[in-house]
Amino acid sequence: MNGARAGGLREGLRENDWFGPLLVTLAAVAIVTALNPAFLSPFNVQILLLAISVNAMVAFSQMIIIAIGQMNLSVGAIGGLAAIAFAGMMEVWGVPWPLAAVLALGIGLLAGLANGLLVATTGISAFIITLATLSIFKGVNLGITEAQPFYEIPAAVKSLGNDTFLGPLPWLVLPCAAVVLGLWYTLDRLSIGRAILAVGGNAHAAELSGISVGRVTVAAHALSGLLAALAGIMLVGRLQLGQPTIGDDWLILSFAAPVIGGAVLSGGRVSVGGTFFGVVLVAIFTQVLVLFSIDPFLVQIVLGVLILWAVGINRYREVRSRRRAGTVVT
Amino acid sequence: MTSDERLVAGESPSADEDTLRAAGFSPVRLLLSNEFGLIVLIVLFAAIFASVSPAFLSKFSLYALGRTAAVNIMIGFSMMVVIVTGGLNLAVGAIGVAAAMAGGALMQALGWPWPLAVAGGLAVGAALGALNGVLIVRSGLHSFIITLATMSIFFGVMIFLTRAESYRGISAAYAGFGRAKLFDILSPLLLVSVGVALALSVLFRLTALGREVLATGANERAAELSGIRSDRMITFCHALSGALAAAAGLMLVSRTGAAIPSMAGQLGQDWLLPAFLGPVLGGTLLSGGRVSVLGTFLGAFLVTMLTTGLLLMQVGAFWVQTWLGLLLLFAVLVDRARRSYLVRRKLA
Repeated sequence: MNGARAGGLREGLRENDWFGPLLVTLAAVAIVTALNPAFLSPFNVQILLLAISVNAMVAFSQMIIIAIGQMNLSVGAIGGLAAIAFAGMMEVWGVPWPLAAVLALGIGLLAGLANGLLVATTGISAFIITLATLSIFKGVNLGITEAQPFYEIPAAVKSLGNDTFLGPLPWLVLPCAAVVLGLWYTLDRLSIGRAILAVGGNAHAAELSGISVGRVTVAAHALSGLLAALAGIMLVGRLQLGQPTIGDDWLILSFAAPVIGGAVLSGGRVSVGGTFFGVVLVAIFTQVLVLFSIDPFLVQIVLGVLILWAVGINRYREVRSRRRAGTVVT
Repeated sequence: MTSDERLVAGESPSADEDTLRAAGFSPVRLLLSNEFGLIVLIVLFAAIFASVSPAFLSKFSLYALGRTAAVNIMIGFSMMVVIVTGGLNLAVGAIGVAAAMAGGALMQALGWPWPLAVAGGLAVGAALGALNGVLIVRSGLHSFIITLATMSIFFGVMIFLTRAESYRGISAAYAGFGRAKLFDILSPLLLVSVGVALALSVLFRLTALGREVLATGANERAAELSGIRSDRMITFCHALSGALAAAAGLMLVSRTGAAIPSMAGQLGQDWLLPAFLGPVLGGTLLSGGRVSVLGTFLGAFLVTMLTTGLLLMQVGAFWVQTWLGLLLLFAVLVDRARRSYLVRRKLA
C-alpha cells in the first residue's frame, strides 16, 4: 500500500506540469554553480531575480490567453504603450508616480478589453485581431514618443526598480510574487479561473454547461492586458527610462515560458508554476551566456531551440497519455 | 479541421463558403468580390491623394510607389502560399533577411557574380522554408509554434554569423537593377513581382500540384484519403514561402544597394503586418483551401499606396503603423460583413 502510494506520488509528479521544469532548473543551478561559483553571488542573484520578476509578468500575460486556446500578439505592444504612458505622465504632466502607475495599468486593461471585445463580438481569430491591435498600439506609442525615450523618471521609481530590501531580494519581486499567488488562486480555486480553462478545453462544451464564452474571452484578454502593462511599468523602473522600444522583444519569450511549463497551445491546460519555472530557466540560460562570456547573440537561438524542445516533450507526453488511455479502454 | 488548426483559423468557413460556391456567378457577387472592392479602393484613394497633394502623381512618386509595392507584394505572396494550407509562417521576415544576408555574403565575401549569388540566396530561403515544413509535418504541431521558434533560431544564427554587420559591397550591376527605371516610371522590381504573380496563378489554377495544395488546405483528411500526400504539399508550400521571402529580401538588397541585418526589424517582425495584410485584404481564407493571387497583389499594392499617401500628406511618419493596423481591422470586419450578406441573400 505504501508502495502504491509512492507510485501514485511519482506518477503525480511526473504528470505535473511544474515538476519537470523545476528539476531542470535545480540541475541547471547546480551545474552552473559548480562551473562558476560567481553564479550565486548576491549581485548575480539580484540581476537574475530582476529579470525573472519582469519576464514572469510577460509570460503570464500570454499564458492566460493560451489558457483559452487563443494567442495575443499584442502583449509587447500593450506593455510598451503602458510603459511610455507611465513615464510620459510623470515627465510631461508631473503626475505622482503611484497615480501614473494606476493610470498606466488602466490603459493596459482597456487595451486588453478592446482585444477581448473585438475577438468575442466578431468571431474573427485572435491572431488577426491582435496582429492589427499590435500595430495600432505600437503606432500610438511611436506617434506619442516619436521614438524618443522619456528620461525624467522620479528617484522613487528608479529605486523601486533596482534596489533590494532583504539581502539580494529586489522590490520588484513583490508584485511578481503577488501575481503568481493571485493567478494560481484564480485558475485553481475561483470559478472564473475554472471557466477560463473550460473554455480553452472545449468552448462548445463550456457554452453548453452555462459558461458565457464571450465574457470569459473578454475577461482573459483584459487580464492579459493588465499583466502586460504591469510588466511595462516594472521595466521602466528597472531601466530608469521610458523606452518606446519596451516590449519589442517580448513575443518569443512570452510563448517560450508557458510552453516550457507544459501549456498546450490549443487551450485548457496551463500551469502557473510551470510557466514561472519556464521563465526562471530562460533567465538562467541567458545569464549563463553572459557569465561564461559566450556570444550574447546566441540568446535568440537558445530561446528558439527551447521552444522546439518543450513543444516536442509536450507532444510526446500527449501522445503517450493518449496511447495509455487507449489501452485502459480496450 | 483539428482543434490545433482551429486555433489560428478561429473560423469555420464550411457553411458560408459552401453556400457561396453553390451560388455561382452573379453580378452582385462580382461587385462584392474582394478584387473589385480593392480596385475601387485603389482608384478612390489615388484620387484623394492626388487631389490633396499633386506630387503624388509625379513620375518619381509613382516610380517609388511601384518599387516599394514590388517588395510588399512578394512578402504577401510568401505568407499567402502557406495560408493556403491552413497554416502560417511567422518566420518570413527572418528567412527573408537571412537569405538577403547570404546573398550579400556570396557577392561580397566570396565574390560570386550576382546571378549566382541571388540563386544562392533563394536556395537558402527555400531550404529554411523546407526545414519549417519538415518540422511541422514530422512533429504534427501547428505551424504557428514551429515558425515562432525557427524565426528566433534563423534570425539568431544570421546575427551570429554576420556579427550584425551589413554587406555594402553589392555588385554595381545588381544594385543598378533595383534603381533602374523603365520608361522613366516603371521599376524592373515590379515586373519581377508581376512575373511571380503570373507564375503563382498558373500554379494554383492550371497545375495538378496547385490543385493538390488547395485540396490539402481545404481538408487535409479528405485530401489524404483521395491519394494526395498532404505532408509533401505542406513541406512544398513552406519551401516556396521561404523562396518567396528570400526573393523579397534580395529585392530589398537590390533597392538599397546593401544587405542590412536590421532591414526587417527585430527577428524580422516588421514584415508580419505587410505579410498578412496583402492576403487578408485579398480574400485568402485564413483557414486554408482558397487563394486569390490577384487579390493579394492588389491588397499589397493598396497597403503600399496608403502608406506612401499618408507619408505624403504628412500625417506623421510615426502614426502610419496605427493606420495600417486599423486598416487590417477594417478589412477583416468588412470581409465578415460581406460574407454574411452574401449568405443571407442566397438564403432569402
